[in-house]
Amino acid sequence: MGLKKEEKYIYKYEACWSDGNNPLLCLNTGDWRTSRPVINNEICNGCGICMTFCPPQCISIKDDYFLINLGFCKGCGICAKECPKKAITMTQEGDYADDCKI
Amino acid sequence: MAEKLNKLPKVTEYFCDEDQFSPGNACCPGCIMELNLRLVSKIMGKDSILLGTPGCSAPTIHGQNDRAWHKHSYYACVMTGVASSATGLARYYKKAGIDATIVCHTGDGCAQDIGIQTISGAAERNENIIYICYDNEGYMNTGVQRSSATPYGAATSTTPVGLKSIGKTTNSKNMPMIMAMHDIPYVATATLSHLEDYAKKLTKAKEMVKQGFVYLHVFCPCTVGWKVKPDSSITVCRAAVQSNYFPLWEVGNGAYRITQPVAKPKPINEMLKLIGKFNHLKDQEISVLQQQSDNRFSILQALCSIRA
Amino acid sequence: MTARSKNIKVITGNTAAAYAVLRCRPDVVSAYPITPQSELVEQLAKFHADGLLDCEYVAVEGENSAQNVACAAVMAGGRAFTATSSYGLVYMYDTMLQTSGYRAPLVMVNVNREPPGIHAVYSGQQDMICTRDSGWIQIVVENCQEILDTIIMSYRLAEDYDIQLPVMVNYDGYYLSFLAESVDIPEQEDVDRFLAPLKEQPQRMKLVAGAGTGCGSHGIGMGFVEYRKKHMAAMERSKELWDKIDQDFKNEFGRGYGGQIESYRCDDADIVLVATGSAVGTARTVIDAKREQGIKVGLVKLRFFRPFPVEKLCHILKGKKAIGVLDRSICFGWNCGPVFQEVCALTRHIGIMPMLSFIDGLANMDITKEHISGMVDEIYKASQNKPYQELTWLP
Repeated sequence: MGLKKEEKYIYKYEACWSDGNNPLLCLNTGDWRTSRPVINNEICNGCGICMTFCPPQCISIKDDYFLINLGFCKGCGICAKECPKKAITMTQEGDYADDCKI
Repeated sequence: MAEKLNKLPKVTEYFCDEDQFSPGNACCPGCIMELNLRLVSKIMGKDSILLGTPGCSAPTIHGQNDRAWHKHSYYACVMTGVASSATGLARYYKKAGIDATIVCHTGDGCAQDIGIQTISGAAERNENIIYICYDNEGYMNTGVQRSSATPYGAATSTTPVGLKSIGKTTNSKNMPMIMAMHDIPYVATATLSHLEDYAKKLTKAKEMVKQGFVYLHVFCPCTVGWKVKPDSSITVCRAAVQSNYFPLWEVGNGAYRITQPVAKPKPINEMLKLIGKFNHLKDQEISVLQQQSDNRFSILQALCSIRA
Repeated sequence: MTARSKNIKVITGNTAAAYAVLRCRPDVVSAYPITPQSELVEQLAKFHADGLLDCEYVAVEGENSAQNVACAAVMAGGRAFTATSSYGLVYMYDTMLQTSGYRAPLVMVNVNREPPGIHAVYSGQQDMICTRDSGWIQIVVENCQEILDTIIMSYRLAEDYDIQLPVMVNYDGYYLSFLAESVDIPEQEDVDRFLAPLKEQPQRMKLVAGAGTGCGSHGIGMGFVEYRKKHMAAMERSKELWDKIDQDFKNEFGRGYGGQIESYRCDDADIVLVATGSAVGTARTVIDAKREQGIKVGLVKLRFFRPFPVEKLCHILKGKKAIGVLDRSICFGWNCGPVFQEVCALTRHIGIMPMLSFIDGLANMDITKEHISGMVDEIYKASQNKPYQELTWLP
């Protein structure tokens, strides 16, 4: 009786432990986006306000410019709204339909 | 533009670690609780231990099976047990001579309602814990029900607007002031529109926690629950500060100080009109909110005028 | 037997428990006072104040926090202790489930008292029954010496790498909590030696700053099922290990309690009475008297309530002509006592025989020799194929 026979288990822990050294859980939150931020580097003054306010922190610096990681940008538009130079425009994702590889 | 990039916002100077969170998590678009978590991660550092509880931050703090959403060590609590669990960790580490920064991160529902007893208890015992409450003025994760942080007049799913109701009919608790009255080493309010101010307070919290309990109350609008456009949550934070609805202040060892004084406060209506949950309010109700906000601010001013 | 008796004191059950905790060197003690447990908390506070107990003593603001503090301290890697009773036990219920689900090897004393509903500051085991499916190991003890010894043994069981489960040591409020008996308090070095094997085992998971591990992740799909299975399997393993720990303790200190159960004059018995807690002492006297009268009656003292000692009980009860069960609590919805209900569940292994439920001793009503004598007579009657009453409320 009971559960004395050997069980084959999937997880190495006795209880509900997770390990951040495993690949992190990750959602492709870019898929949620309905509009996309586009930075006009001619107008951008490099103040970095967009970068600091971005909730998923998906704006980074690359080669003197800010780069938005569209894999994770949820399209909230905070960057565009907070940009003091109005250098970011939210554009409809539909406009990029042709970019999709189907 | 290279030289311009050197003038990044000052908040970045307070970062002492990488953002430990996964780039893609389940927070809603425009949710600044997510920004809050990532900021805490960068300033508190990877070695800080996070404590969470069911709520909006739970799906981001607590992992699933053996996988995690971030690289911090964390401890998941029941709603009633955040500050007490943090006590258990802090006390054991103290006994074992282990140095660890313990950071509780919960919403107002846990901090002000179901968990207030344990926070009050831990504060009275002056445990070495940092408690960060992100105040989105309600139970947002369960579907926008009212909490004790929900202000007068707000429409929520349990204080709906109807023929016989204007929404919530009672005032919110002044939680940061409740915590300040515990005479703990450090209490501060912060919000995400004033990142540098917040970063300074987080940095100070990290230092002050060596003396005992630290409480940070963070104004954190919920785009879904407040009916705010996803791009406007930072705007709402700023408006709350500028109208003195949510003044930014701190109290360290008995000395109160407004950290972001507002020269000419705007009427509260400037903020209310950005928020859908207040859309139904008429002048009379708005004046009630204005009055309450003014009262709270004058108490704060009075406290600030006391020379420590 | 290597340890020697040197230190015999006349102390209450609560004080005996406090001495046991002192000897086990916990890192963190958190507890909230409640009648009839308060003396235990006060005693620990005194030990701490006198510098005898080198631990973090957390004077919490309620039982819910007591359990949370203790659970977290254990998950961080420490040894913790908490104690409660009745209202306090049910107030910490949510976290009790978390503690066992986290597989936190915590040892807690529960001084049995009637829980809320009908307010009563009186003894009764209903509080323990209310938490029986919380995934804790639940042990019931009989006297003050056994309280002390069982707490020490419980740390060996709870913290064993193969078990990692919280243990609740139950003893009757008033009847034991405030009863002063002579108790042999073991020497520190002997207890250290008894608990030393735990140090040679692999390290359990601990919450370490910077390690990136998280305690309390969501159990999703098969993860949830697997952790439940592991929990249940550990509980099954605890039965055999408890018998072994009891034997080790006997070898070390000269006192043994039979492990999961203690059987008294059962071998040649036709009928058996099953009882728990402080009533067992009275029952032993009655059994002896009945034996003198020629009634072949035996007694089983149930020490493990969770996990239920199925195998041990089956071995003893199989072939008996009738079985009676004395409960100090009730089983709502089954019109009988809870232990009785569980013993009835053994019939699929031991066959059908008359089984009698006796409910006695609720809310400090004394379980007297006369009561137990009447129980034995009723069980005997049933064993003679005479009509009998299945449920009897006493007095």
